[in-house]
Amino acid sequence: MEITGADLIRAAALLGAGLSMGFGAIGPGVGEGIVGGSACEAIGRNPREAGLLTRTMLVGQAVSESTGIYSLVVALLLIFVV
Amino acid sequence: MEGIGKVSQWVFHLGGMRIELNSATLLMTWLIMGLILVFTVLATRRREMVPGPWQHLSELLVGWIKDLCVDALGEQWGKRYYPLICALFIFLLLCNWIGIIPYMDEPTKDLNTTLGLGIMGFFIAHGTAIWVKGPKTYITEYFKPIFFLMPLNVVGELAKVVSISFRLFGNIMGGSIIIIVVSYLAYGLILPPFLYAFFGLFVGTIQAFVFTVLTLVYIAVQIR
Repeated sequence: MEITGADLIRAAALLGAGLSMGFGAIGPGVGEGIVGGSACEAIGRNPREAGLLTRTMLVGQAVSESTGIYSLVVALLLIFVV
Repeated sequence: MEGIGKVSQWVFHLGGMRIELNSATLLMTWLIMGLILVFTVLATRRREMVPGPWQHLSELLVGWIKDLCVDALGEQWGKRYYPLICALFIFLLLCNWIGIIPYMDEPTKDLNTTLGLGIMGFFIAHGTAIWVKGPKTYITEYFKPIFFLMPLNVVGELAKVVSISFRLFGNIMGGSIIIIVVSYLAYGLILPPFLYAFFGLFVGTIQAFVFTVLTLVYIAVQIR
């Protein structure tokens, strides 16, 4: 079996998808951890506002997740389109 | 694993042009619009001082979103915009929840739906800005703080549309792909129902809320 140019492109696309997802998941992981930790501290200091803080925390996490989602979209494009 | 990259389409030719319609998205969107219609009819038929269950649910939802809008936009504009925001939230909520029923697809799994809603929010926000501030102030705001930052401001506004719509699309699409992959690995045993509950109900609710709140915030930023 001979390795042709198309095979190389396919291999590079799959490798790129894996790398994009792996590196792209670092930022959201750190960001969501910071947001969750800060929300825990704030709830510990002020337990009466727990509902509002939880809501704000979830929205903040969903926003900081978006870079991870972009890398997911890039990975999907590399797998299914290239 | 076959269902991952597949989109069901109706293709027909019209005078040499090839027209592709995403059949699942269209059918599901119409189904959801029908469900919303049924819900509103149930909620507003026989209104009473002591509300029935449907009326109570709808009053709770509408009141909550109205408070949110009045907080963000102020009394006058909040009252003007809360029907739109409320409709957006209910539509997205049902869109994301319908995926937990077998053989049903989320319309938000298609980029066309989310990008359409994002562009709608963009035009509403900027239309409101022109309406409130007047065209002259609106255009001069792009040249602040220094005039050569204008391209950056324009790109920033366009990036908002891309970010808001790709976030919803990626979350729902990624969730459904994870469900397919895990179902394939675990032969459909034990795990998939919990994944459906997590990605369909939990993530779906949060993403619908985030999309709504961000649209509201974009409008609020333009008004201030």
